[in-house]
Amino acid sequence: MTRLNVIKPAAPSSKVAAEKPAAPAAQSGAKVFWRSLEEKADAQRNAEAAHGSDVVNRTIDASELSRLKRRHFMTLSGAIGALATLEGCIRRPVEKILPYTDAPSAGDMTIGLPSHYATVTSQRGEALGLLVNSYEGRPTKIEGNPDHPTSAGSTDLWAQATVLDLYDHERARTPSKKGVAKSYADADAALDAVIAEALTNGGQGLRVLSHPTLSPTFIRLREQAKKRFPQARFHTYAPVSDANVYAGTRIAFGQPLAVVPAFQSAKVILSLDSDFLLTETGSVLAARQFGDSRHMESAAGEMSRLYVVEPSMSLTGANADHRLRLEGRAIGAYLKALAAELAGQGAEIGVSAGGGEVAGVPASWIKSVAKDLLANRGASLVVVGSRQPAAVHALAAAVNRGLGNAGKTVTYVRPLDGADVDPFEDIKALAADLASGSVKTLIVLGGNPAYDAPADAGFAAALAKVPTSIAVTDRVDETASLATWHIPLAHELETWGDAQSRSGSYAVQQPLIAPLFNARAAIEILGKLAGETDTSSYALVRTTVSGLGGSDELAWQRLVQRGSGPVSGFETLGGLSVANDAVTQAIGALPGPSAAGELEAVFLADNKLFDGRYANNSWLQELPDQVTRICWDNAALIAPSTAKQLGIENGDMIKVTVGSTSIEIVAWKQPGQAPSTVGLPLGWGRTKGGTTAAGAGFDVYPLRTSSAPHYAPAKIEKLGKKYPLSQTQEHDSMEGRPLAIDATLDEYKSQPDFGQWATPDMSVAPLWKPQDYSEGHQWGMVIDLNSCTGCGACIVACNAENNIPTVGKEQVARGREMHWLRIDRYYAGDEAEPEVALQPVACQHCEEAPCENVCPVNATAHSPEGLNDIAYNRCIGTRYCMNNCPYKVRRFNFLNFNLEVPETRKMQFNPQVSVRFRGVIEKCSYCVQRIQNAKIGARREERPLKDGDVVTACQQACSARAIVFGDINDKTSAVSKARAVDRNYALLSDVGTRPRTRYLGKIRNPNPEMKG
Amino acid sequence: MQLFPRELNYLPLAVAVGIGGIVGPVATLGIWYYFSPKNTQVGYAPEQPIPYSHKLHADELGIDCRYCHSNVERSQEAQIPATQTCMGCHAVVKKDSDQLAALRGSWASGNPVPWVRVHKLPDHAFFDHSAHLAAGVGCVSCHGRVDQMEVVRQDQPLSMGFCLDCHRDPAPHLRPKSELTNMTWKPEGPSGDESAQAHELAAAGVNPPEHCTGCHR
Repeated sequence: MTRLNVIKPAAPSSKVAAEKPAAPAAQSGAKVFWRSLEEKADAQRNAEAAHGSDVVNRTIDASELSRLKRRHFMTLSGAIGALATLEGCIRRPVEKILPYTDAPSAGDMTIGLPSHYATVTSQRGEALGLLVNSYEGRPTKIEGNPDHPTSAGSTDLWAQATVLDLYDHERARTPSKKGVAKSYADADAALDAVIAEALTNGGQGLRVLSHPTLSPTFIRLREQAKKRFPQARFHTYAPVSDANVYAGTRIAFGQPLAVVPAFQSAKVILSLDSDFLLTETGSVLAARQFGDSRHMESAAGEMSRLYVVEPSMSLTGANADHRLRLEGRAIGAYLKALAAELAGQGAEIGVSAGGGEVAGVPASWIKSVAKDLLANRGASLVVVGSRQPAAVHALAAAVNRGLGNAGKTVTYVRPLDGADVDPFEDIKALAADLASGSVKTLIVLGGNPAYDAPADAGFAAALAKVPTSIAVTDRVDETASLATWHIPLAHELETWGDAQSRSGSYAVQQPLIAPLFNARAAIEILGKLAGETDTSSYALVRTTVSGLGGSDELAWQRLVQRGSGPVSGFETLGGLSVANDAVTQAIGALPGPSAAGELEAVFLADNKLFDGRYANNSWLQELPDQVTRICWDNAALIAPSTAKQLGIENGDMIKVTVGSTSIEIVAWKQPGQAPSTVGLPLGWGRTKGGTTAAGAGFDVYPLRTSSAPHYAPAKIEKLGKKYPLSQTQEHDSMEGRPLAIDATLDEYKSQPDFGQWATPDMSVAPLWKPQDYSEGHQWGMVIDLNSCTGCGACIVACNAENNIPTVGKEQVARGREMHWLRIDRYYAGDEAEPEVALQPVACQHCEEAPCENVCPVNATAHSPEGLNDIAYNRCIGTRYCMNNCPYKVRRFNFLNFNLEVPETRKMQFNPQVSVRFRGVIEKCSYCVQRIQNAKIGARREERPLKDGDVVTACQQACSARAIVFGDINDKTSAVSKARAVDRNYALLSDVGTRPRTRYLGKIRNPNPEMKG
Repeated sequence: MQLFPRELNYLPLAVAVGIGGIVGPVATLGIWYYFSPKNTQVGYAPEQPIPYSHKLHADELGIDCRYCHSNVERSQEAQIPATQTCMGCHAVVKKDSDQLAALRGSWASGNPVPWVRVHKLPDHAFFDHSAHLAAGVGCVSCHGRVDQMEVVRQDQPLSMGFCLDCHRDPAPHLRPKSELTNMTWKPEGPSGDESAQAHELAAAGVNPPEHCTGCHR
């Protein structure tokens, strides 16, 4: 018996491949996956690609950069060789050890061991509890806080990336007045003068602008300041917010409420332009709940079904079982038709919705979806995206009530802030007052309105007219450069603060480090306005907690240690009555579908930069967009059919006109885009965001107006110019073999091990004596493709944990991105409405690793625990291993990407991982530093290592819990159980590499009535 | 006409012999030097800013190693003690000594004492003190008789070969947990190296890594 049979759990044995029986129902090899439109169209090119390089169709010509001639190269390399010899002689410079004079107590810090502190981030409308790793006072890695309800131990990609923002050396270091650096004494004097004047006139002419906040301290101080200055006005504005949700619930329930879905209890989910898995509020919790609802231990299990109706392919749309592309304006009409059908089928909707046909919507999308929703009363869910008008949210509330979902799959909570204003009207009113001269002083507490306010508000021009404007932002950005004063805003990891989540927990934001650049917290500025005597952020938060009933010192310390606690009196509302007449009236005023021949511009919260606030974060810039796979740029997304009509190809510059304003932007053909729409991701084209943000992407805010901030009628026109885009979707090709394997639920039930049918195991033993893996720890990973949403948090977490450099747009175009973990995105079927498959791929840690056999210096070798090791200092850079890897997961340091790293950035480096030099290969190590430290920790405590002691960075970050890691020799471990799930398969198993990483095949759950 | 003289035919041979005669010895000498204690710096004993004597403190006064290197069982870093640790005694003992002026200066100013590093591993070697102590490796195995050193010097090569010698056969270097800091402990048994006691300790699950990522990450 060969060892192969040990691993292979069940039938289709290795004979299958030889005998070629009739293909089983679920043989997914039959499905043709394609990664890009070019690949789909151009079979010839594919054939060439199969014989040539792994990177085809580069959009940047790499040769243009190589000006180095051969002779210069020889001269230089000679000189370098001589220098290297010299350097070898001077081996040991005298090195100093500088210990503490007065050491912190061992409980606070142990040199060489990380400490973990609980804190919270509140960046996208929801609080997210964090645990931050800190080495000797330097925060290096952010993880989720298992005790915080919205995190439960995981994070999103933005939380993972925020530690890099902390060390951004381009943040402002001192206050400044009109560009001239000033001291804090000067800035405080200016602020005191503003306050002194406001005290004389009750705040006449004083305005304060901030983002909607989650901080009870911020709200407490703002109320205090309002009382102190009754004439002053406080505005809230954020370019992407839940204002429409609040307005919709006000129509339906008479009070503005936040909608909190419970996806784990839903069997049928209808998402109407809601990207709840990524860009909507509360996406971390949503992704986990959605993952839970799709979790399948065996074919006997149940899973949810997701319908998505949306104009532009979102990550949620990519995960849909059924997806309908529909322009944004028609979605209200679709929900009306659906509500009418539901009422017709017997649901008590209570709202007379009218109904009728909607152009572009097949009848089955109304009849069958209604039937499916009704069949799952109380276990269905309709969610609506924050872009949709208030009336659609109101109608969705009525539909959810009618389906008996309220209180079961959806609950409502009172939002903390921003519920009573339309942010676009508010900022427009503020800008009008600024322009008219009635405002003497404007204080901007965070945010960047000069960049992201609607174009018709004319905020930037109006700001310049205010006599005194104080911008409190992290850098001299678009807003701060127009203000008279700039005060640096501290990062969340630098100051005290607090945040209340929609699940009713109060979390304390605990600083990990003193402000690097002497910056201030927004609450410290507000505390001055509120007349607080002690305006340190600690005192302000402590006072809030005392007010909430936590004056007891021990209770406070426990709260800070755990990171969060429940909010007393917090209400979750379920069975609210819906004001049917108000909803009927509101939906009557919904706009119809757009006229024929007219395009609709859809303004999208960007998958990586969100509204632009993360623009200077190189991890996020380099992360390939989850859907388009473009790095370092955004693009206008247009349907392939529309592009064909207008003769537009990928990379063509186009002019997009909304009203009388137009911008130039590069076009990208996005499969699944509604034909009459153009998707415009916000947040790019920053002019004063920093050097990383500079030149990346195109600013689409100029097209956004307060009257049409989400969907606007637009025209596009081809310009006849090209723009180079770097995108990774065709890098690292595995040459058309079956990789992301999927099946429908019915196919799964009839053939539970469908994954292994598509990739049968090798039937021959290796030529050499196989290593014995039966003893000790044997590490393995399982990735459940059914839970994975493809959000990319794992990639950013891997960047942070493993000191992975970013290489920039040009190098990405040459295929030199360094990500150890990538997410492959495949399309299948029709390019107008494709199925999407997403698959994270890192080093598979093959037991018979092809890379090891070709290394001439034994720099990559196998550990007895089944890891594919690399010793960087042995590597001489032949790249044989990279070429011989069938999974294309090895990365080569073509340049010394870590050479010119700013000092502050170095503080983020994980001291447990080598920072690699030019000329060496690197790849996923299964976070071997975490394995070793867990083993050492267990030995120190004189106990055996237990399951769960080793958590890899990607696993830790994954909110959908798609990644399981552990010891496969321990038969009770989570990873052993996951490997035993029937739909497991090994990637390219037929190559005979025997990978340690296994995948669980994706299951699609289509509605049988809607087939075909 | 013959342009080149006949003797020139011997040129390739002469070149080959010449190269052999030069390259061979140079390579031999190079490798010899590379592996010699001079290169691995055994015996490196730099002058320290304060003439601290381990012989006085550890041997004559009998202070345990862990009194100052207090992290050694908890962390990868054994830790050079803070000025505070020294001042614990020297605020009272020898408080006017000239030799301790730098120490008092550090305590008064808050600036650290700039000790010179003696034992240095390359940055890509991730050594962990706590792991070795937990396994039962004593201080003396790598650091030598520090208790007999007036000036601390490097006692062992601390090269990869030195590490691997022990990782491949740890038994002779293991001792009971109670004897970790004992500089003079000898295994009981007929011949020290092959004591039953050490093998008993090794059998208790000491399984040091010999693969790359055991030390290089």
